[in-house]
Amino acid sequence: MKRIPLAAWTALVLAALYAPIAVMAAFSFSESPYFQWKGFTFDWYRKIWTDHAIRSSLSNTLVLAAVSTVLATVLGTTAALAARDAFRGKRLYTTLVSLPVMVPDIVLAIALLALFRAVGMSLSLWTAAIAHTTFNLSYVAVVVSARLQGMDRSTELAAQDLGATPFQAFWKVTFPAILPGILSGALLAFTLSFDDFVITYFTTGPDSSTLPMLIYSKVRFGGTAEMRALSTVLLLASVGLIGLSLKLSRVPVAGGGR
Amino acid sequence: MRGLLLPPTAWLVVFLVIPTAVVAAMAFSPEGLKALGDGATWALLGRSFAVAAVSTALCLAVSYPVAYFVAGCGPTWRNFLLFLVVLPFWTNLLVRTYSLIFVLRPLGLYLTPAAGVIGLVHNFLPFMILPLYASIEKLPKRLLEASQDLGASPWSTFWKVTVPLTMPGIAAGSILVFIPAFGIFALPELLCGTSLTMVGNQINLLYKNDPKSPGGAAFTLVLMVSTLALTWTYHRLRKTEGLV
Repeated sequence: MKRIPLAAWTALVLAALYAPIAVMAAFSFSESPYFQWKGFTFDWYRKIWTDHAIRSSLSNTLVLAAVSTVLATVLGTTAALAARDAFRGKRLYTTLVSLPVMVPDIVLAIALLALFRAVGMSLSLWTAAIAHTTFNLSYVAVVVSARLQGMDRSTELAAQDLGATPFQAFWKVTFPAILPGILSGALLAFTLSFDDFVITYFTTGPDSSTLPMLIYSKVRFGGTAEMRALSTVLLLASVGLIGLSLKLSRVPVAGGGR
Repeated sequence: MRGLLLPPTAWLVVFLVIPTAVVAAMAFSPEGLKALGDGATWALLGRSFAVAAVSTALCLAVSYPVAYFVAGCGPTWRNFLLFLVVLPFWTNLLVRTYSLIFVLRPLGLYLTPAAGVIGLVHNFLPFMILPLYASIEKLPKRLLEASQDLGASPWSTFWKVTVPLTMPGIAAGSILVFIPAFGIFALPELLCGTSLTMVGNQINLLYKNDPKSPGGAAFTLVLMVSTLALTWTYHRLRKTEGLV
């Protein structure tokens, strides 16, 4: 096959992928709140900094992401460690742990909503945190398992032979080796929680809106000038987080055979 | 280490297995079964299926040449191009969807069903390109040369050798795009307004009106069962064809 048309097509697809983002970012500096170019201003960026709705949504989003990341990291790491040994029903167990990744987010959201209604729990940031922990623990478990698989277990066993208790052997040998995996799992969980819309939308309380929910409610009616600035800031924040997680994932497995 | 099994299992049983059972019980209630037997339900499911299928097909057509080109590049370019393909995926879905409005509006497509299809293709492109790339990259060059040496035109080599050999990548990519496209919710709301209602939108509508909606539960159950069936197919493909 000829390379030049293929290269042109690839360039075109990449341009189509990035053009909307570029146009939106450019419009965020336009003085006009409508879809027109007029002047150049940082006003919209100044406005989002002082906007109350944005501030409270941001703090809700951060609390939600922080709480669910901590819970999911503990549960997900535990889930990955438990799956190291062979036991009866392991296949069922690994399927259960990976299930939240597989079902569409709207299904998980509706199922949890049905549970909360059935037991009479009123929706709040805490019910959303339960929902976020449920999908995040699955992602953390996947990332930590990958790290564990690249690790040589003999060092932990050697530590035990040399007189360490199983807990000491884990804490001083295994844990430091998988720590980069745990951290990158936590970072992934934080990002997924921060970006989530569908699950939050169905499981959070009426007074605890998050940033993605705020964006949704505005963009449903075409969006506002502040939303352009806010979206541009969020894009840059995501790119920063990706850079960080790429760095973490490059840390080699200590003592591993890779 | 047995004790480690307990906390994650308990969490998932309480917050995943039991909730799913609650939804299933609601779907199999008399009202839920009535909704499942309703022609309108299946018409909506059919429409969602069609939108997801058209988007998947377009995604495949757009992605195949890209994946083919990337697979033929040197390692540096290859990594750079794959990075560019994946990067937007790591940003917020709503932000990306919002940004599409800035392009769809001047084109006169904003708030039309076509906007939904374009949005889905735009959004799920990485899911298609990556498995296609993995599959094309493994393609033995000798076979393509042999086909050409034996007198096949580039066109028939492509259709008779390249496409069949990369079928696992085509299947995997199609499943990975189709599943989330079928259950999508926010994207059509934002890009199509009321011009396109998919399963996800209908579930939202039903639950907003009635938090115990048996019809909503029925839709959710159908979505879950079809997704799990497709996921299972994908994992089978991955195992038998050694796909990444």
